[in-house]
Amino acid sequence: MTVPRPYALLAEVTYRCPLHCPYCSNPVAASLCEAPRRPQGGGYSNGELTTEEWKRVIREAAALGVLQIGFSGGEPLARRDLAELIRAAREAKLYTNLITSGIGLDDDRVRALRDAGLDSIQLSFQADESSLADEIAGARAHERKLDVAAKIRAAGIPLSLNFVIHKRNIDRLPQIIDLTEALGAERVELANVQFPTRKQVDRARDIATAAKARLAGKIDIFYVLPDYYETRPKPCLNGWGQRYLTVDPVGDVLPCPTASSAIPDLRFENIRARNLDWIWQESESFNRFRGTEWMPEPCRSCPQREIDFGGCRCQAALLTGSAANTDPVCELSPNRAVVDAVLRNINSSSDYAGDWRYRQNPKPRTYVSTSASL
Amino acid sequence: MRVTTISDLARPSLAKGVRLQIDSTTGKSVLLYPEGIVELNETAHEILSRCDGRTLGEIVRELAEEYEADSNALATDVRDTLSDLQQRKLVEFK
Repeated sequence: MTVPRPYALLAEVTYRCPLHCPYCSNPVAASLCEAPRRPQGGGYSNGELTTEEWKRVIREAAALGVLQIGFSGGEPLARRDLAELIRAAREAKLYTNLITSGIGLDDDRVRALRDAGLDSIQLSFQADESSLADEIAGARAHERKLDVAAKIRAAGIPLSLNFVIHKRNIDRLPQIIDLTEALGAERVELANVQFPTRKQVDRARDIATAAKARLAGKIDIFYVLPDYYETRPKPCLNGWGQRYLTVDPVGDVLPCPTASSAIPDLRFENIRARNLDWIWQESESFNRFRGTEWMPEPCRSCPQREIDFGGCRCQAALLTGSAANTDPVCELSPNRAVVDAVLRNINSSSDYAGDWRYRQNPKPRTYVSTSASL
Repeated sequence: MRVTTISDLARPSLAKGVRLQIDSTTGKSVLLYPEGIVELNETAHEILSRCDGRTLGEIVRELAEEYEADSNALATDVRDTLSDLQQRKLVEFK
């Protein structure tokens, strides 16, 4: 099998984050959030990658064929070396995106990122207005985000807004689109999680379709349908190990950003031990679901197998217990009944979600100080 | 909605946040933009590498000379390519 070249690297530079969104799927282990520090005694350090380690990842990614890098997290602004990493990515001729909550982005920082060559910012919002947005984020963030959006516009950096859409905000889609227009964004991504009702999803799709037509040539609107409501799976990642790779804060290299939590039996390689080229080409984790050889029936003989690539490995793992099964969203999957049962459950309840649990961000261990107090 | 009439005097340029670059893996020309990459064919590359303040009329004349092509047919190709890219927000006109 010839191994394709990757196009995009997601650099999850930290899992530290000021927000507590209940739908966050990032790991919460404190060991993933320790500040970068120098290796002691010549071995590999633990904790977040250092600036130099990230620069090496960036150079190796560019050499592999990567053209785009997304700096994400957690909140990437928590890394004080972010501008330096962006500069390194531009020197490697990568297109640089920053995916951020905006918290911590003041005038000086916006200028520093722009001067480092940042190409584009994706700013997350939780809703169109403060009370709901702050309730979802578990922090007073919305007003600050509005201010940050204005600063990004003033600096002349292209702006996209990202909304995670769910039961509690899906009915505010018209106001969400109005906010996008008012803030002068060029692009908005409306990504559904799986739990709105069919009625909500259909209504939202109509609103998004009408807005798309009205704002054509002005704002690009991406409405991502939750795939429980579809009969064929999404072409997740455009195939495992085909185009994308993710490096997490401590240097584990993942074929998919959620694979580390969703597929527990997959072992990932770390850039502190191996170079990126070897990991992409040779590692077990990148080759396990690459191509079509791994596929079970009904995928193996399906004419769609190189269109949807069997769907999402993480969804298969989470809903059927094995990442090597056909994505159960597919109507041909022997496990589709699992998805239908979830849908019945969602659609027999009200449009309003119950209580939710906020993400508890990990508290990095404090390094021992010489003082004996505390 | 398709823009069918772009004036000869319009000056096409890459939209904000769009970069034209050679993909060193393939040697081909690509447009890079937020969350996207478009690989350009030779025609699109020849057009976009001239979108630096020149008018559409000037670009068509240059290409017609260089490729010894019929300038009416070429003008249609150039307009179609640019208006397609404009709809995708990758090109704008000044």
